[in-house]
Amino acid sequence: MINLIKSEVLKIRSTQVWFWMFVLVVAITTAATLGTTLTIDSSTATAGINYFSIWTNFGTAGVALVVLGILGLTTEFRHKTITPTLLANPGRWQLLIGKALAFVLFAIPYGLVCLVVNLVVAVICLHAKGFPVQFSDGSGAGMVRNFIALILLAFFGLGLGALIRNQAAGMVVGIVYLSVLNIFFAGIPWIRRVYLFEPAGALNAFTSRDRNNYGLPHDVVHVSPWAGGVILLVWCLVLLVAGGYLSLNRDIS
Amino acid sequence: MTVSNQMATGPRSSDHGRIVVDHLTKTFGQQRAVDDLSFTVEPGSVTGFLGPNGAGKTTTLRMLLGLISPTAGTATINGQRYAQLAEPMKTVGAALEASSFHPAHTGLQHLRIYCAAAGLPARRADEVLELVGLSADAKKKTKGYSMGMRQRLGLAATLLGDPPVLILDEPANGLDPEGIRWLRGFFRHLAGEGRTVLVSSHQLSEVQEVADRAVILNRGRLVKAGTLAELSAGTTHAIVRGPALAPLVTALQQAGLAGNTEPDGSLRVQTEDLAQIGHLAFANQVELHELRLEEFNLEQLFFTLTEGAYQAQGFDQPPPPQHQPAGAHGTGAL
Repeated sequence: MINLIKSEVLKIRSTQVWFWMFVLVVAITTAATLGTTLTIDSSTATAGINYFSIWTNFGTAGVALVVLGILGLTTEFRHKTITPTLLANPGRWQLLIGKALAFVLFAIPYGLVCLVVNLVVAVICLHAKGFPVQFSDGSGAGMVRNFIALILLAFFGLGLGALIRNQAAGMVVGIVYLSVLNIFFAGIPWIRRVYLFEPAGALNAFTSRDRNNYGLPHDVVHVSPWAGGVILLVWCLVLLVAGGYLSLNRDIS
Repeated sequence: MTVSNQMATGPRSSDHGRIVVDHLTKTFGQQRAVDDLSFTVEPGSVTGFLGPNGAGKTTTLRMLLGLISPTAGTATINGQRYAQLAEPMKTVGAALEASSFHPAHTGLQHLRIYCAAAGLPARRADEVLELVGLSADAKKKTKGYSMGMRQRLGLAATLLGDPPVLILDEPANGLDPEGIRWLRGFFRHLAGEGRTVLVSSHQLSEVQEVADRAVILNRGRLVKAGTLAELSAGTTHAIVRGPALAPLVTALQQAGLAGNTEPDGSLRVQTEDLAQIGHLAFANQVELHELRLEEFNLEQLFFTLTEGAYQAQGFDQPPPPQHQPAGAHGTGAL
């Protein structure tokens, strides 16, 4: 398994995609942090500043990690490297687990970079605007959850890629779901009730401050942040198993 | 011991390097791509896996390598299915298509990825690139590789684990004459090392030069398998030349020998018994300028055995064999 993970990490590192994704997550995180901190009115009292949202802003780079995850398996099918990959590792489920672990390992530095970039940019902006730097309001736990969420999103992308197999379709579905469909689901009354049980809803729950879940209406079944994390993890596993079953169990011809 | 028993008890030492295809069948929808195919590739032999396009060669090789699930039957290497091999890359090297590379990877990166997967040192990638003559292009991205370079890179990948068994699917596809010449030398090198090689190819003359055995497939079914000597048995013809062969033709017909007169006036007689022809010529006072056995030609045998496989294709006819089967052209049969 260690050889398999080494091989998968080498695959990711051998192209420039990881670098451009890295640039993208730094850019998204910087933009999001600037947007949050610079728009705080200078007259706002310290007690009125939403520090939780400032310190957990780096989760916005999650979509880039979903895309990176989607590329994990779809690239193998697109360039037909799935054939030599399976010749080297004929155990298909073992391959999928190896890939998942490799992407978890690869997502860790991305998550750390996002966290640090957000921290540095936010501290500079808060200082520039004359606000004190405070880690109150559950910010520490929120940062940990956002960091874990980024890793889970890479995992989620891998499962989505395994399920869809077509690279372009996988990316479109992933981005449209997280950016558009998710918002629709949150707005449709009869879906909204269980909104926090679908993957993007669970992600929202996981990264929210508390069971209030970003002030969602009362008709929504609320879940605690860590329960949201567990729901998201279950979705990741379901996607990976379903994708592995449908995609990798097929004939490779 | 049956194949299934072998799998239950693990590989036997006598299975080392042996490929066994046992009643293998694959159906895609209504189409039976491979139909109850059985053959064995003996350890240390070079076996040509031959058949026209669509004969089921690639499907068979992919089933052997665990990439396609058989509808029925088994295919084993060293007495085990591919997926059961403890160290697949150190047991089998396989090159299936010349386009299985990430275009942004260099040749060296491509090989190092699979070195890592097999737990091999990264320097092994450099060694095999040297072996296939790609060292100078090691750091070039594969999207810039020519077809010949891609074939070489695929062959380099098969050698990473220094496996005793090699499975090569159409390694000569897309190669220019220089590449074909290189491939011939490469085959000789592999054969000289005593590896078991199963190679599917349309370059029949190249296969004939290095192969000990051949498995001929048509429409998913086994047509013939065996050593080249076994395959040539019964297909051998005697070539007879002389200024006036008419009395000999009559004598051969009376002796019950089949054959035909070639456009250049020579006779092509279906027999290995040159003494009998010599005796009949002597007895009928026929002057002979040449009496010899026709060299075995795998290409000719291939087209004879797979006759009809190209009928529906219209254009893209196979090249005409050097010597067509008896009665195939307008000159009179004996």
